[in-house]
Amino acid sequence: MLRMLARRVLLGIVTVFLVSLIIFSGVEILPGDACTAYLEREAQGKLLENCRTELGLDRSASARYLDWASGAVRGDLGVSATGRKSIATLVGDRLKNTLLLAACALVVGIPLALFLGVVSALNRDRPADLIISTLTIFAMTIPEFVTATLLILVFSVWLGWVPGIVLTSAGAPVSEFFPEILLPIAVLAMVMTAHILRTVRSSVIETMASDYVQMAVLKGVPYWQMVFRHVLPNALLPTINVVALTVAWLLGGVVVIETVFNYPGLGRMMIDSISDRDLPVTQAIALIIATVYVAVNLLADLLTMLANPRLRTAQIRH
Amino acid sequence: MSKAIGVVAIAAISTLGLNTHLLAETSGTFRQAHELGFGDASSLDPIAKGRVFQITEKIMNRLVRPGLDGSPSADLATEWTSNEDATVWTLKLREGVRFHDGSEFDSADALYSLGRVLDPESDSPARSAVKMIEKAEAPDATTLVLTLNTPFADMPLQLMDYRLRMIPEGSGDSIASTGIGTGPFKVEKFDAQGTTVLAANMDYYEGAPGVEKMEVIGIADGQARLQALLGGQIDMERGITAQQRVMLDSSDKFNIQAIPTGNWRGLVFRTDVKPFDDVKVRKAVRLAADRQALVDLVTGGGAVVACDTPVEPNDQYRAAMTCEQDIAQAKALLAEAGYPDGIDVDVHVATLEPTWPILAEAYQQQAAQAGIRVNIKQVPSDGFWSEVWMKKDVSATRWNERPADQALHEIYLSTAKWNESYYNDPAFDELLASARRELDFEKRKAIYIQLQEHLWETAGTLIPYHVTKLVGTTARVGNLDEVKNDAVRWHKITVK
Repeated sequence: MLRMLARRVLLGIVTVFLVSLIIFSGVEILPGDACTAYLEREAQGKLLENCRTELGLDRSASARYLDWASGAVRGDLGVSATGRKSIATLVGDRLKNTLLLAACALVVGIPLALFLGVVSALNRDRPADLIISTLTIFAMTIPEFVTATLLILVFSVWLGWVPGIVLTSAGAPVSEFFPEILLPIAVLAMVMTAHILRTVRSSVIETMASDYVQMAVLKGVPYWQMVFRHVLPNALLPTINVVALTVAWLLGGVVVIETVFNYPGLGRMMIDSISDRDLPVTQAIALIIATVYVAVNLLADLLTMLANPRLRTAQIRH
Repeated sequence: MSKAIGVVAIAAISTLGLNTHLLAETSGTFRQAHELGFGDASSLDPIAKGRVFQITEKIMNRLVRPGLDGSPSADLATEWTSNEDATVWTLKLREGVRFHDGSEFDSADALYSLGRVLDPESDSPARSAVKMIEKAEAPDATTLVLTLNTPFADMPLQLMDYRLRMIPEGSGDSIASTGIGTGPFKVEKFDAQGTTVLAANMDYYEGAPGVEKMEVIGIADGQARLQALLGGQIDMERGITAQQRVMLDSSDKFNIQAIPTGNWRGLVFRTDVKPFDDVKVRKAVRLAADRQALVDLVTGGGAVVACDTPVEPNDQYRAAMTCEQDIAQAKALLAEAGYPDGIDVDVHVATLEPTWPILAEAYQQQAAQAGIRVNIKQVPSDGFWSEVWMKKDVSATRWNERPADQALHEIYLSTAKWNESYYNDPAFDELLASARRELDFEKRKAIYIQLQEHLWETAGTLIPYHVTKLVGTTARVGNLDEVKNDAVRWHKITVK
């Protein structure tokens, strides 16, 4: 068990390392460098030289990569090209805000998805299931930015119930984000709920049709006892992975939501840094998001293994 | 008797005055957004690259500012005169004006503020506006004397630059965060990425402002800014697009102002390479453009046609010209230049400026009729200014507004750093210099017009239009001057 854990962690680290190489060389291949990108028309003469010295761009690519990568391991992500501020500090608040948004969406979305998923599976092909499944398809297929814009239009512009755009600054305490954060949470929770719900539904249906459940039914186990004691524990196992994938998507993929709602999170910071042509910041955020993605997936795999004896022992037998 | 009437009249007038003063009470909060163009480099230092002008314009004054008609009018300088050849300018400064920290504004502050821009080490982008100032002196507390290295009849115009704002002497190291100026509002809290709060400066020299608080909020995304305006979270948005206008026009909750600007986007053909080294080819490629169609297609009608002049539509020196598309003449010119079968042109664009690809495609269609076969090359936005612009033979370009003289100098003078078309015409250079020496306004205007007509005949830069800015406000906003950002009197604004 321990050996397998170590192997998975090691694999994760290798993945992050490879990703960092790809990000770094991607930025290297771009025409120009961080300084020409930032200075635009003024990129010439002394101004350019000063900028390059300050950001250490006058050294070889391999030396810069080693510096960047070793710094990142220590939590030092370098300085931004536009403000010459520590990226680690800049990212701090933004990461907190994105986590806040993701956490709220999860708290709303997961229970809702489990509940609705089970309800629609147990009422398979009956009106409740049809309604839930149809709404799910809508929530999954309409792009987030459309949902977001619609919600703003209805709840902020027409009804005036909640503010449409987040105007709170990145460093503000968590309490100040309410009620502005409600619409972004709603959009995220919607998409997330839809994805998890579908897995829960099909998994519960599958388990209900399995031999041991049939047996339980024949033996006269009361319906609700059967559902809670025998079906759900087995049916919900596969959803751990979907939840993990969704969490990873939440942390990286909220870019669109954050931009539409002007939410000061990591995703919007990435977009801002791209339009400011601030390459060091873009690079750092890409690395952070990749690391989170790998870490969350690793965690999900381990959780699934812990919860499922078959997978656990299969690994040990190898 | 008559004296008594006079006294009564004065009393009546002063009561009236008192009443109007009471009516114009300072109250309410006015909110607007800024596009966060400089991220965490945002600063309150008016001359820094990251200056947030939506804030500095409300907290600091200039020596000279544009009046509502765009001509130089008094701000912190009340009057100005020059010597006979326009090389020495003497400015009288306003007395009794105080900075937000209580200190009094005098010539030492003006000297210091200008000195920061003029310092060659400061590398401020504002320097190009006033680099003709060789020496600035302050003989007494209310007088400023500027000695120029060249005759310059329109020196006051240069001092109107939106960045040349007065700050207290010696505050250069702290101004980026304190923002202490003499303006109608003072900084209460500066947070570029979030909400910056400004409070009314009740001692403002033009009178107490109409609103108590101003909030300037960083919203990078244009769609988000529009949503914020629609939802009433902000009161003004200065970047409404033509498509969005329709939505606001149909509602009585919003008002729209259309403000012509000097900002332009265009195509630049290098005049030092074949075939554009031939003036006939240059004129042909410009004659092939249907400018009104470009305005309609690219900006949805939100622009004013330009005949390759960089001088903005409302500038006092703008030449009135017409420039209809003329395919026959374009063809004839190409044939004369030795290209009877037309020419092939690679036009380089990037999405850095979202309208470039559309502009290039529309031009491609128009120019094809004249035998100009345009091949659009889309290049990455990264490195556009360093690897493509001024390097490739033909590329897209964009400029923000400048006073006529400055625009002509920065874009067309043979020795200019950003002479993007490598335009080299000694006659033009000489004529341009003579305009600066000419103290008579009418004669000076005649020269500037002649210069623009010369460009229409010879230039390598296609300037199809100047963009019109649409300003949307909520209906509760009153007294917003219908002029460019730069000339708005912010203390006048009221909210219901």
